[in-house]
Amino acid sequence: MSIRALSFFRRYHIPTFIIALLLFGLVLMSLRVKQRPGVAFFDALFMELTSPVQKAATFVIKTIHGVFQHYVFLVHLEKENGLLKRRMAELQEENHQMKERVMANDRLLKLLQFREKMPASMIAAQVIGQDPTSWFKSVTINKGEGDGVQKGMAVISPEGVVGQIFKTSPHYATVLLMTDYNSAIDAIVQRTRAKAIVEGKEENRCQLKYLLRTEEVVVGDVVITSGLGGVFPKGLMVGEIRSVDKKGHGVFQYADLVPGVDLTKLEEVLILSASPPPPPQPEEKEKKAKKTSAGSPKKK
Amino acid sequence: MKRFLYPFFAGLLLLTFQATLLASLPVNRIRPDVVLILILFLGFSYPTVLGGLIAFSLGFLLDLFSGNAFGLYTFTRPLIFFVAQLFRSHFYWKGFSFQFLFVFIFALLEGGLILLLVSGLNPSPFRNLYSSVIIDLLPQSIVTGLITPILFPLFEKGSLFLVTKLRVAIKRQG
Repeated sequence: MSIRALSFFRRYHIPTFIIALLLFGLVLMSLRVKQRPGVAFFDALFMELTSPVQKAATFVIKTIHGVFQHYVFLVHLEKENGLLKRRMAELQEENHQMKERVMANDRLLKLLQFREKMPASMIAAQVIGQDPTSWFKSVTINKGEGDGVQKGMAVISPEGVVGQIFKTSPHYATVLLMTDYNSAIDAIVQRTRAKAIVEGKEENRCQLKYLLRTEEVVVGDVVITSGLGGVFPKGLMVGEIRSVDKKGHGVFQYADLVPGVDLTKLEEVLILSASPPPPPQPEEKEKKAKKTSAGSPKKK
Repeated sequence: MKRFLYPFFAGLLLLTFQATLLASLPVNRIRPDVVLILILFLGFSYPTVLGGLIAFSLGFLLDLFSGNAFGLYTFTRPLIFFVAQLFRSHFYWKGFSFQFLFVFIFALLEGGLILLLVSGLNPSPFRNLYSSVIIDLLPQSIVTGLITPILFPLFEKGSLFLVTKLRVAIKRQG
């Protein structure tokens, strides 16, 4: 029987190998769907081994790009210098006005006790690679579990929301960008306070879903995070509405959104290492108030 | 072992190239899939077991650096390799038009398969993804097909170099 089985295997070893390999691929897919920890371990291991190649390539590309920018384009430097000086004067004026606004804003923020909602710390990371496929939108960064990065953490940049940590290894991580089809962010329209969900659509484009038809939103409206998802703190810039679609029937209208961050030119990002606390329930608020009123005389 | 490692590292370099330099192109959607070209080349020139393993490993790496949670390329890349092997003895694969058409069709087929798998594995359908077929997949497949006649001869030279090196090593060993 065993000899027969052996001769069968010898005869059909290539079809057997093909079927086995494809089945293994399917099993791996199934394990990933179920999010088994063993697969995540192997993912992290291989990511750790291969990411330095990407890091080195990005370094070489950036160096070459830098050389070009610094030396080859010197020809246009004089013209550009004059232009920049004028622009700088304009920006200085703008800067003064902005500083005033920022200071006022800071005071208001303190008054409204919004600061407690901000995360404790941020981790700065560098983008070392983009998604190699065209179907999915992600970037690889040079910070991982060893630096305190964990799956699900919010990733932002000074211009606004970038995405979420999707995979991690000890020194590297993958960020799922907000433009990916799998991404969904709880948001509000800043002007009208209308609630909606921002979903990824295509390259540097998102879609505003579940926005009630009765809400009046217009092109140019700014969309910010609502803070309800528990991942992003409230008030972060998500993007700007570019078109509104009220055609068709139903309760909802749809809008196209351009992210506040140009995700195709992303170089550095910030990871919020502490997720914002959930919005306090009315009962908790009362308890807190009682505690503080009971605790304050003791301190005295 | 060398017959596995050389193409694997070539694939890793191409993957890095795809994720870094090619990703910095002004229009992201015309970024060619150079790893797919390598796998299709291996389909014509490599034995089933070795080529299948390389395609599997490169698919795994592609999944690792992409934002997909399911590991779709670990399945599609070896499948593409095995299907490409079916054509190896039926066509003269060194002509420009065949190379372009062959890679273009396979890039479209793989895109279709991925779309099918993503739709099947997700509980809620991604309507946005369907528009990507025309916006992203079609231009990318055309560009991938167009650069194939440049890359295929390069891979062939590399493959010949590897074969001669192995032959010399065998002769030396007697």
